[in-house]
Amino acid sequence: MLTGKVLGFITALLIVLIGGALLIILPNSGAVQLMHRAFHLGWPGALVIVGLLLYFQFFRKNDQNRSELVFKCVVGLLGYGMLFIAIANYAMNFNDESAGAPGEPRFLPISLVMFTVASFTMAMYFKGVRVLLQIGGFMFFVAACLAGFGNWLPQVKADPPPVEEKTADVKQMSVSERSDLGEKLIFGAVGASGTQGAIGKGQCPLCHGFQKGFLSERAPNLFGVPTRALERLTDPKYSQKDPSKRDTVQKEACPGCGTAQSAAEYIAESHACPNCYVVAGFGVKGTNDKESPMPAIHKPPIALTLDELIAVDTWLFAREGVDPPSPDEIEAAYKKFIPESDRPKPAGAPGAAPAGPVPGAPVVTGDEPVNEIFTKALCFACHTIPGIPGAVGAVGPKLVEKTNAPQRLKDPDYKGKATTVREYIMESILTPSMYVVKPYPDNIMPKDFGKKLNAAAINKIINYLSQLEEGKAPPKIE
Amino acid sequence: MAIITKQARKKIWAFLALGMFSGLLLLPLFLSLPTGASGADPVPAASAKAADAKSVEKSRDVWYKTEGPVVGAPAPKTTDGPKDYPRYNFESRVLLWVGLQQHLYYGSFVLAVPIFCMVVEYLGIISKDKALSRKYDQLAYDFVKISLTAYSLTALLGGIVIFTFLTLYPTFFTYLSGIFRPVMATYALLFIAESGTLYIYYYGWDKMREGFLKWVHVSMSVMLNVIGTVLMMLANSWIAFMQSPAGVDADGRYLGNIWHVIHTTLWNPINVHRLLGNMAFGGGVVAAYAAYRFLTSKTDEERAHYDWMGYVAMFIGVCFLIPLPFAGYWLMREVYAYRQQMGITLMGGLLAWLFIIQAVMIGALFLTTNYYLWQGMERMRGAERYQKYIKYMVFVLIACFIVWLTPHTIVMTPAELKAMGGQQHPVLGNYGVMSAKNGAINTIITTTVLSFIMYQRGNKIPTVKWAPLGNSFLFGFFTMAYINIIWLAIYGYYIPANVRVGLSVPQVASTLSCLFIGVTLNALMLKGAKDTGPIAWGQISVRSQYALIMLATSFTWMMGLMGYIRSSVRLFWHVNEIMRDNSPWAFTHTIGFGANMISFNVLFFWMTILFVFWLGSLGAKKAPVTAPSGQKVPIPASSH
Repeated sequence: MLTGKVLGFITALLIVLIGGALLIILPNSGAVQLMHRAFHLGWPGALVIVGLLLYFQFFRKNDQNRSELVFKCVVGLLGYGMLFIAIANYAMNFNDESAGAPGEPRFLPISLVMFTVASFTMAMYFKGVRVLLQIGGFMFFVAACLAGFGNWLPQVKADPPPVEEKTADVKQMSVSERSDLGEKLIFGAVGASGTQGAIGKGQCPLCHGFQKGFLSERAPNLFGVPTRALERLTDPKYSQKDPSKRDTVQKEACPGCGTAQSAAEYIAESHACPNCYVVAGFGVKGTNDKESPMPAIHKPPIALTLDELIAVDTWLFAREGVDPPSPDEIEAAYKKFIPESDRPKPAGAPGAAPAGPVPGAPVVTGDEPVNEIFTKALCFACHTIPGIPGAVGAVGPKLVEKTNAPQRLKDPDYKGKATTVREYIMESILTPSMYVVKPYPDNIMPKDFGKKLNAAAINKIINYLSQLEEGKAPPKIE
Repeated sequence: MAIITKQARKKIWAFLALGMFSGLLLLPLFLSLPTGASGADPVPAASAKAADAKSVEKSRDVWYKTEGPVVGAPAPKTTDGPKDYPRYNFESRVLLWVGLQQHLYYGSFVLAVPIFCMVVEYLGIISKDKALSRKYDQLAYDFVKISLTAYSLTALLGGIVIFTFLTLYPTFFTYLSGIFRPVMATYALLFIAESGTLYIYYYGWDKMREGFLKWVHVSMSVMLNVIGTVLMMLANSWIAFMQSPAGVDADGRYLGNIWHVIHTTLWNPINVHRLLGNMAFGGGVVAAYAAYRFLTSKTDEERAHYDWMGYVAMFIGVCFLIPLPFAGYWLMREVYAYRQQMGITLMGGLLAWLFIIQAVMIGALFLTTNYYLWQGMERMRGAERYQKYIKYMVFVLIACFIVWLTPHTIVMTPAELKAMGGQQHPVLGNYGVMSAKNGAINTIITTTVLSFIMYQRGNKIPTVKWAPLGNSFLFGFFTMAYINIIWLAIYGYYIPANVRVGLSVPQVASTLSCLFIGVTLNALMLKGAKDTGPIAWGQISVRSQYALIMLATSFTWMMGLMGYIRSSVRLFWHVNEIMRDNSPWAFTHTIGFGANMISFNVLFFWMTILFVFWLGSLGAKKAPVTAPSGQKVPIPASSH
């Protein structure tokens, strides 16, 4: 008859046999390495248990409990072995860079499950502490499930922003370069302004809407702000002539700063002193619009420098086709509302404020070769891209854009704004729904590439794809 | 006459104790009253003297916007190196994380248990039934006995935390302690007072068993709780300051008003949230203790006692779990009011996935609570008539739980992504949206309320005349609630997001109406109801005790998770916007790493506290008082 003890011995024997077979057949496998590590860590204890086992077996021949004592040693050895395999798994995975993000172990919950098995096995034979072992094992199981769930979810590791981030001299830039920088500061990437969820150092889209008709519940939609700014100046609540009559918690950006006289000054004042004028309905709840929830943008946690603010304001004008004020004009506007002592230091200067956080950092830096960019952005999963190893996806169209793009632009169904191959590729990346190639369905391609890819990466992708031609060899990867 | 006087005296004491207890609960409210200090802040003597010689430099408070004399040094600008961040060969932040979390677990436990103790002891005093009174007294004693060993461990862990902090973050610690110097001294003094009171309270239990001395004894528990709560609030002021600093200027210079530094904008929401959280957590730990004792019991009497104790503790835990989301809502609202970006980082940004884990845990907690109640019905004669409904309820709960935990987007390998044709599953992706989830969670809670009502009437048959009407009303009420919740969940798919948000209000209203109206009406119907037999305490399945352990482990895990969320929302700041973390560990870990650490902390806590329980069982000097067989075993008034 198969008693518990016989079953136990059979199990132990099976485990030893499987372990032995693994050692012989797959000496370099992960499991064997794990066993090696476990043995390396726990051999002294195992030696003690084996010693006890031999002692009971050969020196306590007349003891009535001998077989039970020997059996307990066998089970103890098994449980002990599992415990150390679990510990070894922990030790090996704790700093395993391949498991997830560097140093972010994702296989540790497995150890917890092994602890559970080990404690339940031990509990079967060690009656004195049975309940403690079972409760402990059960808790390990609950903790393993919860940790496992945590590891299964998307993993994002957010690095702090660099303390010093140098911005090129905006005054030397062309209007479009300055505007691009502004867009990057607001949305995280050039061309990302149409992407939902795209966000940059300035963090503006956390609260503000930027597209016409976009429902903006947390803060005013900034579409049309260059023209609307002038209307706001005439609002009695703005009290342009006498700021002391303002019904807000802060009347002026600084004592004697006065009020804005132009659209540029209005925007500068809004950034420097959000409390000075709160658009109706957007104040902190319960303050009757006397206080704004917006932080001063030149101070932490966002802390844009004057140069960065100039770029941001330039974009606000330029993207609507309005001639932006000159950098000097914008700078003068900020200097009017931010006193010298309070002024953000130029980036890189001693004591410069740290940059704000960038949640959900881009997946690439743009310095990688283009094949790596395609891989990291997962383009290859859906598209066939000649010249890119492994890019044989069929969920989306084949990307031979030197051939395809001109045809698509001529398609009567094409409603986009692109006129060149390069523009078409950029549009397809940033707003994939603008034109959907037949017969592929819409809404399959993610719409957040503006967030995941920066300007340099998008530029490299465009350079590469625009050279791909049906039936011809792909260009060299840079 | 003498009897009347004695009763009157009892009543006066009862009211006094109750008044003090209410006072304790209202304390956070009193402290939240606006401070009178608005610009006329007291100038420290040293500064006043200096003012004679030269004018004192003044600066503006970052939160209160009041002017105050600069009396502290600016927040240090640290650099990565051994001077500011000395280290062992390990991530310093993780070491401190473990130490702090363990200290917090034990601290919460020893703060919560005396509150139960006070309430239960008080119930024992005012109870007219002698057996019941003894039973309550024994329970209170059991509670405090468990917390006593934990108390020494709390102090020990506190010491370890201080040394770790000092060793690994000396510059930051110096800055914080410079600002909080008076608070830290008060904290130490209060800790001594707490220890003294606790030891007199515990060791004086037998000496102060009867008459007036018993009242002195129960008053001492009130004092113990007042001191404990103030201790907790002082410790909270440090973390609240780190998250939403006040009382310092933009450079982090202390402006001489200690009340501003303590009373930051998030202090009181954190106080209330933690007080409630501690109670739920304490209930969980005591329930696990009772389960452990139940499973190791050798006699039926012992099993009956610990079964009852587990039920009471679970009941307390769940009772405090219900208001916890409202306190959480207040805290989150204040976070949004303080810094909108901080709120968005929590709820819609970097840390939002952690709230998904929290949601799953909430679902699991409700499932477990239901399971325990169903198991509990097995020890009631007459409850068999409800057994047939359980399978349907299981189906509803599991279906809702699956919807509740379905994520909107899933991280996949390229091959999986290709196979699925997008980031969302074509069918299951539809359940990942808020509309489905709101419907699911409200259905789960409403079903739990239904389970509780079934449990309440397990061994009772209503005899009031209007019982048929009442039953029909309850049936209709729950049916309408379910229809309302599910219909709105479906309707939510057809309307824009901004309108959909508003649908949660009528859904939650349905759930809460079921909770309050359903339970109250049921209790009224059960007045003078016919008993179909006593509750056979102790005759509950072993599985039910594992449900209690599951509840306790989940409470602990959730506490670790929420603490991690609250702390990590500071991102790369030691003190938000005042002192930047320039150590190599200023980054935010992935969710997986956080979950592993929380699991480690939870298991470490439970391994040590199981050891404490085991120690307690070795030195059990008092056998539990048990009711004579056949006598009704007391249960909280609200449970039957």
